[in-house]
Amino acid sequence: MTRDHTLIEELMAAEALGGLEDGDRALLVAERASHGDCPECREIEAGFAETAGRLAFALPPEPVDETMADRILASSREAPPVSDSAPAAAPPPDDLADRRARRSRPWPALIAAAAVLAAAIVAVGTLRPSTTPVNRASTSQRIVAFTGQPEGSLAMAFTPGQPGAVLWGGGLPDPGTDRVYEIWMIEGDTAVSGGCVTPADGVVALSVDADIGTTETMAVTEEASDCPSAPTTDPIMLADLTTVV
Amino acid sequence: MGDVPEAHDRDLMARLRRGDEDAFRSVFARYAPSAKALAQRVVRRSHLAEEIVQEVFTAVWKDPGAYDQERGSVKGWLMGMVHHRAVDIVRREESQRRRAEAAIPEALGEQIDHADEVVQRLGLPEERRIVRGALDLLPAEQRTVLEMMYFEGLSQSQIAERTGAPLGTVKSRTLLGMRRMRDALAGVER
Repeated sequence: MTRDHTLIEELMAAEALGGLEDGDRALLVAERASHGDCPECREIEAGFAETAGRLAFALPPEPVDETMADRILASSREAPPVSDSAPAAAPPPDDLADRRARRSRPWPALIAAAAVLAAAIVAVGTLRPSTTPVNRASTSQRIVAFTGQPEGSLAMAFTPGQPGAVLWGGGLPDPGTDRVYEIWMIEGDTAVSGGCVTPADGVVALSVDADIGTTETMAVTEEASDCPSAPTTDPIMLADLTTVV
Repeated sequence: MGDVPEAHDRDLMARLRRGDEDAFRSVFARYAPSAKALAQRVVRRSHLAEEIVQEVFTAVWKDPGAYDQERGSVKGWLMGMVHHRAVDIVRREESQRRRAEAAIPEALGEQIDHADEVVQRLGLPEERRIVRGALDLLPAEQRTVLEMMYFEGLSQSQIAERTGAPLGTVKSRTLLGMRRMRDALAGVER
């Protein structure tokens, strides 16, 4: 059966041009996920990305510092190019700086819980393939499902090596009056807030601007509505990014 | 038929993967000026545009394997990275910096092609002619939406606000314009 691609095409057109807004991006991710491994979706995406890229050539070129190429090569000689199989290049320095600046204090309880649950996730994924939290939506995009919450579901889409991620979920219980769900990115012994969200009829959609390139685990806690900079409760959901390939 | 075959670009990328510095210089010489133009158009600051170019080409040199030829042309991939970073900066700065800057351009059609000699030297005049021609064939309202979104880094809501068109109309113009551009460019030199 042929699926209707009108909506996803409309969303992908705006995304390729850089004009898609967060709400629509969440919709795109959800729509994309609902199409599964969809060759037509990939073709639409690639076609629009190519079209957008070529729009740049409508502009007259600008002179560039002639020494730049040699400077790039010189600065990289100590660190030679990575192989084809290596991960994408590191994110821009400003992203990393922003991210580090927003890091909270270490969160031992969560880190420990993350380690335990991450191990559990791997075990469950091995024993029950249908619950393995990773799907491949495209050649670059990754989708990972959170586990741990008995009700509802939450998933995140991201592109390794690129900043930003989109989370969406459904069937989630209301966290209660003046309570929200807070998203955390965990790297080593630190947790960085990715923002807070309150479900509307159980549905959440949240865009995280920060880079998650080196994040090992994503976590969700229930927090006060002021969205604290450090977690105050144990995680209710986790997603292990170290197993995403 | 184009003057810069995509096959040549892909050959350069293959050499880049082997650490060939001359191949990197070739890719840089060919596309850095267009990358700078795009970045500068979006962020409206020359030095910031240079930083974006340096960042992107550094990433290209460090990880040429990130290019997947199944997903499009080398130049489309390069410009996509440049555009992504430029728009990201614009969004983060909430457009304050852009407004504070002296306006660079002027509508695309009004730009003086003072760089045509450079274009000729770079071997990209045909590409520019094709893309400009495809843009010129778009209905004005679709072209406006595409240009505001791509070259100014505006979101669909911002465009709706500025043009006074309903958001749904902006969305449909985006889709129709992109379909036309894609079809116009399809099969033409990549």
